[in-house]
Amino acid sequence: MKTGVYFCNCGSIISDKIDPEKVKEKLKDASYIKSFGLMCSDEGKQFLEVDIKAERPDRIVIAACSPRDHQLTFMNAIEAAGMNPYLMQMVNIREQIAWVVEDKARAVDKTASYIQGAIKRVNLQKPLNIKEIDAEISVLIIGAGPAGLKAASAIAEAGRKVILVDKSPAIGGKPVLYEKIFPNMECGPCMLEPILDDVLFGRYADNIETLTISEVTEVTGYYGNFTVKIKQSPRYVNLKTCIGCGECVEPCPQKAIAVPFTGAMPNSVSIDDSACLRFKGKECSLCKEACPIPDVIDYDDKELIHERRVGAIIIAIGAGLYDCSRFPNLGFGLLKDVYTADQFERLLSSTGPTEGTLETSDGGEPESISIIHCVGSLDNNHNGYCSEVCCQYAFKFNQMIKEKLPQAKIYHIYKELVLTGKDGFILYDKAKVSSDTKFIRYKDIKDINIIDQDAKILISIEGIDVKIKSDMAVLCPSIVPVEESKQIGKMLDTTLDRFGFFEELHGRCDSAQSKIKGVYLAGTCQSPMDIAACMNQGMAAASYILSGIVEGKKLEIEPITAVIDKERCSGCKVCQLVCPYKAIAFDEKDGISIVNELLCHGCGTCAAACPIGVIEVNHFTTEEIFAEIEGLLA
Amino acid sequence: MNNGMNSFEPKIVGFLCNWCSYAGADKAGVAQTPYPSNVNIIKVMCSGRVDPQFVLKAFASGADGVLILACHPGDCHYKEGNYKALQRYKILSRLLKQFDIAEQRLRFDYVSAGEGEKFVEAITSIVDNVKSLGPLSIKGGNNIWEQQH
Ligand code: FES
Repeated sequence: MKTGVYFCNCGSIISDKIDPEKVKEKLKDASYIKSFGLMCSDEGKQFLEVDIKAERPDRIVIAACSPRDHQLTFMNAIEAAGMNPYLMQMVNIREQIAWVVEDKARAVDKTASYIQGAIKRVNLQKPLNIKEIDAEISVLIIGAGPAGLKAASAIAEAGRKVILVDKSPAIGGKPVLYEKIFPNMECGPCMLEPILDDVLFGRYADNIETLTISEVTEVTGYYGNFTVKIKQSPRYVNLKTCIGCGECVEPCPQKAIAVPFTGAMPNSVSIDDSACLRFKGKECSLCKEACPIPDVIDYDDKELIHERRVGAIIIAIGAGLYDCSRFPNLGFGLLKDVYTADQFERLLSSTGPTEGTLETSDGGEPESISIIHCVGSLDNNHNGYCSEVCCQYAFKFNQMIKEKLPQAKIYHIYKELVLTGKDGFILYDKAKVSSDTKFIRYKDIKDINIIDQDAKILISIEGIDVKIKSDMAVLCPSIVPVEESKQIGKMLDTTLDRFGFFEELHGRCDSAQSKIKGVYLAGTCQSPMDIAACMNQGMAAASYILSGIVEGKKLEIEPITAVIDKERCSGCKVCQLVCPYKAIAFDEKDGISIVNELLCHGCGTCAAACPIGVIEVNHFTTEEIFAEIEGLLA
Repeated sequence: MNNGMNSFEPKIVGFLCNWCSYAGADKAGVAQTPYPSNVNIIKVMCSGRVDPQFVLKAFASGADGVLILACHPGDCHYKEGNYKALQRYKILSRLLKQFDIAEQRLRFDYVSAGEGEKFVEAITSIVDNVKSLGPLSIKGGNNIWEQQH
């Protein structure tokens, strides 16, 4: 075995501290050792390539900087010289020795031990090859709110097939219900209209299969090759022919057939079979009789299971609101005029229960409205984070109240005000100029007490000498993960963070990527964020997919994976239990475990757990590590 | 042994995961503040790869101490390898007593990519501990490895 050692002087950063000549004297097992000024430079790579071609070593050790800096540089150079790049071992003598070992003699000794360990190890290393697999280019998007829609339209425009699944009968997520949207008070449905149109009827709409009242029930496979099952509940209405005229709605004695809300897209009714008389065994076909178009209503519609193959998945299922009944001191659920933000949103809406008239529960015109900010947010007893959007919509409410009731007094009872970004200040700035708008800061949500008094509500705050009489109180609850996050997380094996949001691969660099290859995150299921950020993250997820999976290009699979020795595996399945990626399956026929190298990330925890030591990790085999230990300690 | 103790330079093997701890060691390198040179580092992809055998092998091959550094809880690049490593470390340190190897010769800690100083601390403390324990001599010679099998 011919093992060549290349010693990088790193200019003179390394050689000033570690004399390569002295190291040479100490090395026993090197076939040759050569030093070079700056190996990562173009000249250095050239030198390496030419020298490897001339020397034709079997194995190579490169003593230089941290492999985190230049391992790939050198692997490429070695490959260019016609050698398998996995037959090289790098030794970090800059960060770990030259820069931190003062005594020069010790630095030489330590370098020699490191190189000795690397030689012993590299001599056992095997050539490895990157594997290539075909990848499916279609994409599954779960959730058709702003983030999911943005991703869907971008991917469809790129000519890919998208399967867009939403559990509700309409798409658009929450903002389609908001009559006005911060910061510029545009209408929610109008803002979303172009993108909804794109998805349903646009130039690339044929590329998008929109499945409403549907949920993903099963996912198998891996990046590039997922098989998903989607359960579509019956709508009992033909989406293609229904024109959404609503003629059927009036006659229904049960209010079982309805458009989800005015302006819902797709513009179509659906029948709620838990309310419809027919499904209770009664004879009734009033809706069908009222419908002007034949065969739109189909009582025999059945649940469908769709199976699709996709290369990547985007989770964009949104978030919910924190349960305000956890705060009995705020009177929610106890006092009639205490609302959550989304209830209040409906009260303000022209399609809401009061058709947009702001009135108290007994029909009076409110003179004073209190808005309680940060309900559950910024609070380690509840949710230890800022929900990002509440300040903004609270000041949006402020403006909407003022438009409807110019005389009304408004109290903002807040813990912190968070007004970031170039638009964050606008609505607050408008609100604060009015003398009718007051700001009161509280310390702890526990200090607030809301009670009934003389047909009004009375708000007091412990430690502050104020009592506020209001006609209504609006609570701004934390944005929290939805229940389905758990189930979807389990199904896709994506982890949730300590708050229950989907955990990103990296908070700054890869917040639209989950820790599972091929599963991406977009919108508030990952973290509280506003609509602009949701759209951006949808776009980010789309671009990860478009750049990662390209039609006609194979996916490259790293060769550093676990391998189970078929002959010796006893089938105890311990490896399956510890694998974080479900990459190990059990072969019932032979009674052994097998690694799916496409799913395996090469962490090696199965190898460490195997009670009989029959699992190896390529490039990190027990034998290789043992050899390195021996060499290092020799 | 007391006389020799000051000049005793222990040999210690450090298993560092690629993603956080190894990067933390690099950070300490870039800071260029000298620290004891006794720990020779072996990079593994994840602390979860550290088979208890690696530790025994190191002791059997002449190491006076072994250090395992992992990503902080919740930060493991492979979700939970560091929890597995911690469990194994706990069982192993109990087992070491049977070989008459003092628990302090094996140390497990978390070092993130940003924690160059914590890395130096971990190194310094194991080196100090092992120095005060003196060289490791294993009952029945340095062949616990063979005893194992
Ligand atoms: S990657 Fe660092 S402990 Fe798993």
